[in-house]
Amino acid sequence: MNLWQRQTGVQVNRDGVIGRRDFVRGVSAASLAAGTLSWTDLMSVRADDLRSRGMACILLFMRGGPSQFETFSPKPGHEHGGDTKVIDTAAPGIQFADNVPHMAKIANELAVIRSMTMKEGNHVRATYLMHTGYAPTASVKYPTLGALVAKEIGDKTTDLPSFVRIGDRAADGGGGMLGVEYDAFSMSNAAAPANTNLPSGADRYDRRLGLLSRLESSYAAQGSSQEVAEHQKLYAKAAKMITSAKMEAFQLEREPDSMRDAYGRSEFGAGCLLARRLVEAGVTFVEVSVNGWDTHDNNFERVGKLCGQVDQPAAQLIADLKQRGMLEKTLVVWMGEFGRTPKINPRGGRDHFPKAFNLVMAGGGVRGGQVIGATDPGGNEVVERPVSAQDLFQSFCKSLAIDSAKENMSGIGRPIKIVDGGKPVDELFA
Amino acid sequence: MKSSSLRQKFSGLCLLLLLIFALAPQLAQAQKSPATDVAKRIDASLAAELGAAADKTPLADDETFLRRVTLDLIGDLPTPEEVIAFVLDSSPNKRAMAVDRLLADKRYGENWGNYFRDVILYRRSDERALLAGPTIQKYFADQFNGGAGWDAIARDFITARGDVREAGNTGVIMAQMGQPPEVAAEMARIFLGIQIQCAQCHDHPTDRWKRSQFHELVAFFPRLTVRPVRDGEKRSFAVVSQDAQPRKAPKDGKYRGSPEHFMPDLNDPSAKGTEMTPVFFLTGKKLELGTPDVKRRSTLADWFTAKGNPWFAKAFVNRIWFEMVGSGFYEPIDDLGPDREATAPKTLDILAIAFANHDYDVKWLMRAIAATNAYQHESVSRGTASSSPFAANIPQPLRADQIYDALTTALGVDDFDSAKPERIKGYRGGQQGARGEFNRTFGFDPSLPRDEVAASIPQALVLMNSPILQRAISANAGSTLLGRLSSEKLNDDEIVAELYLRCLAREPKPDELHACVSHISTNKNRSEALEDVLWALLNSTEFSQRK
Repeated sequence: MNLWQRQTGVQVNRDGVIGRRDFVRGVSAASLAAGTLSWTDLMSVRADDLRSRGMACILLFMRGGPSQFETFSPKPGHEHGGDTKVIDTAAPGIQFADNVPHMAKIANELAVIRSMTMKEGNHVRATYLMHTGYAPTASVKYPTLGALVAKEIGDKTTDLPSFVRIGDRAADGGGGMLGVEYDAFSMSNAAAPANTNLPSGADRYDRRLGLLSRLESSYAAQGSSQEVAEHQKLYAKAAKMITSAKMEAFQLEREPDSMRDAYGRSEFGAGCLLARRLVEAGVTFVEVSVNGWDTHDNNFERVGKLCGQVDQPAAQLIADLKQRGMLEKTLVVWMGEFGRTPKINPRGGRDHFPKAFNLVMAGGGVRGGQVIGATDPGGNEVVERPVSAQDLFQSFCKSLAIDSAKENMSGIGRPIKIVDGGKPVDELFA
Repeated sequence: MKSSSLRQKFSGLCLLLLLIFALAPQLAQAQKSPATDVAKRIDASLAAELGAAADKTPLADDETFLRRVTLDLIGDLPTPEEVIAFVLDSSPNKRAMAVDRLLADKRYGENWGNYFRDVILYRRSDERALLAGPTIQKYFADQFNGGAGWDAIARDFITARGDVREAGNTGVIMAQMGQPPEVAAEMARIFLGIQIQCAQCHDHPTDRWKRSQFHELVAFFPRLTVRPVRDGEKRSFAVVSQDAQPRKAPKDGKYRGSPEHFMPDLNDPSAKGTEMTPVFFLTGKKLELGTPDVKRRSTLADWFTAKGNPWFAKAFVNRIWFEMVGSGFYEPIDDLGPDREATAPKTLDILAIAFANHDYDVKWLMRAIAATNAYQHESVSRGTASSSPFAANIPQPLRADQIYDALTTALGVDDFDSAKPERIKGYRGGQQGARGEFNRTFGFDPSLPRDEVAASIPQALVLMNSPILQRAISANAGSTLLGRLSSEKLNDDEIVAELYLRCLAREPKPDELHACVSHISTNKNRSEALEDVLWALLNSTEFSQRK
């Protein structure tokens, strides 16, 4: 027990998150009947059960919309395929573009969905849909995938945040109607997270907290005990986090050089390695994003370079998780907000194409070495096993053992399912 | 500003007090404004509707009142000089006079501009709307400071056209990228307090509006569109009318760009749907199909803001009352019905009717609310207040801009250096610098019930550890607050009192003074100990709230 806890008598319970609603209402028969039982209450009922599953998810998000033709769905011999070469993969009968040789080597771990299809062709709207499973609206702020996963299966006992995002953009969404406590703990890159270094040393930090606690008890006695209690819970949680030994997870320099080299020394490589360290330390959802996939011109050279940054780290992440025995319980998803047009435009580019695109999943119970769905020879249409954004979210839920039919309440008391519609892609798990 | 000890300040106040007394007769005239009369009627009505519960709490003391009203009206802390002058002022009208002074401060418009920018942009369905943030804020600031009526402001938003970086009143349309159903829903939510968009897909389970009525409201907006503007380097969008013939039916089968709105067929989403005539659901008044965009929207603005439309006044009164008193007649504040029950509905009627009779004068409304006992009561925690509504004020968490301004004012700096001085690219660039960072970390949707607004760990980390604040609380630099105070040879009691006045706008209580002074005297390094005291005050519950 640190000084802070001794001073305040505040014990950080296993949810540790401050929600005024939780604090105020507690569990009552009325809230049970109304279906507004707060998540902390649910967690205390089900925490052990949920935690025992130990599932986690790493989302590798290719911002801008990666070309399917130059990655996992090449069309050799068709004019739409361009000059992109194909290579055989470790999975018999499956070929990738030659831009992703490292992923090809571990193709036995990968399930490629080549039949993703939806209608949002605008970056912002498509990014929202692929992060929340819902199209954007004014009336309901849908939570992003990381927030949903953190809420449902986050480990409430850990000192670290349940949802970390490396390479933050607002468009990826946050806790939305679930509240800021489910927002991502955001880092602009894999360097040390902001404001977690003690500016004044641990002893002085404890002294400061001690003084604060004495002043707070005076204020609490002036009629604000509830506000003070909430504030103290939050500060205890924050202080616990930044003084936790688990903060070491953020320090990439603790990895041997050989491991850092294996992930590649790119920013995305560092992000992938940090994602693995964080999941190992108890974080439930990590999102790592990389920009630049919006290749309206010079598509082939640019995608080649981007794959050069992404291919090795992504493959190493999956191999590393496997080697550590973590892959079975860690779902890894590689995707962007949409794909690129089959037709190559006059600038050697490809434009936005949500109608037929691809993504890759590994781990989390997904059977590797398979391709799901297909497009016609020119990549114009999905001709086999179309998969919608809702189907995809159902599949995420199935992998992570989340009840997708569970409803959360929006601000105006409208129940919102975790996923509305769609069916899991069962072949992923067969 | 050179700081001086409390004692010096007290003695220096004589002149100020003389000035106040000299002005008092004139200000007393203003005091007899209808706002005060209405405030009395409000308190009497609350007592009648809610029984004795409405008046069992004592009024807040002067320091608490001044900090509260200053944060509420101008979004900032009072200065130590203002606190002392106010406490020593024996004029019976001093609270009303303080309100008048604050409403004349340009920070009044800026504060409520920040608030309404957030009201609009936290419901954006498109990130690109963030481009318009500063323009929206400035539009509101200018209107509020210029005394524009809320009806004129609403009309501006409903009828808006032009470049979103020049015309801040395009904000609601831009936030929804001109999508007619979303625009209609937001106009109804913000200006009428009606959540009719629930009827977008189905007849509402609890409200009496029908799905067709929502789509009749949407039918006022099908002819507006938001277009990209690219002239040179500047990237922007413009709201324009588009009355020409419909473009070819887009390949997805939806009739966007059609000059009329079609209600989708739920059983056959690919069908054209039903052509909807513009009808205002509250009155049944309608326009012909084929009416041009400008006429549609200006007519709807007339109907929204008509004196005979009680929803318009009630929605605004309820919102401002909630922000100032801490709880609303209706909560959530933007969901008034038609079948919701209000706390003290007759009182809301009195205030809403008076607001309409004063031509939707926003300053008048704030003056009236601030004059009520309901506003001036001591505060009690939200959790314990619900059993007897409006019996006390309720503490509110400070909004992001209020925290930013309170910190800069307390620490005596104009601005903090941004941790990321480089220009932020993309749409988030709408808010640059340290204030933008604070808004991204501390911001929340001000329309949300406050028991759903939780503080986050990153917020605590900013206040505890951020380099920008650590630099600003340093006692070792001559330019900082503690650097200046240290050079004035104040004793420990004086310096603690000064810090309390600056950070919390009050003097320390004896036990607080004792805790701070003993912290200073038991530390070998006085500079460090003073930094600790300042750090603790800025990290206190009290600092982050207005009670």
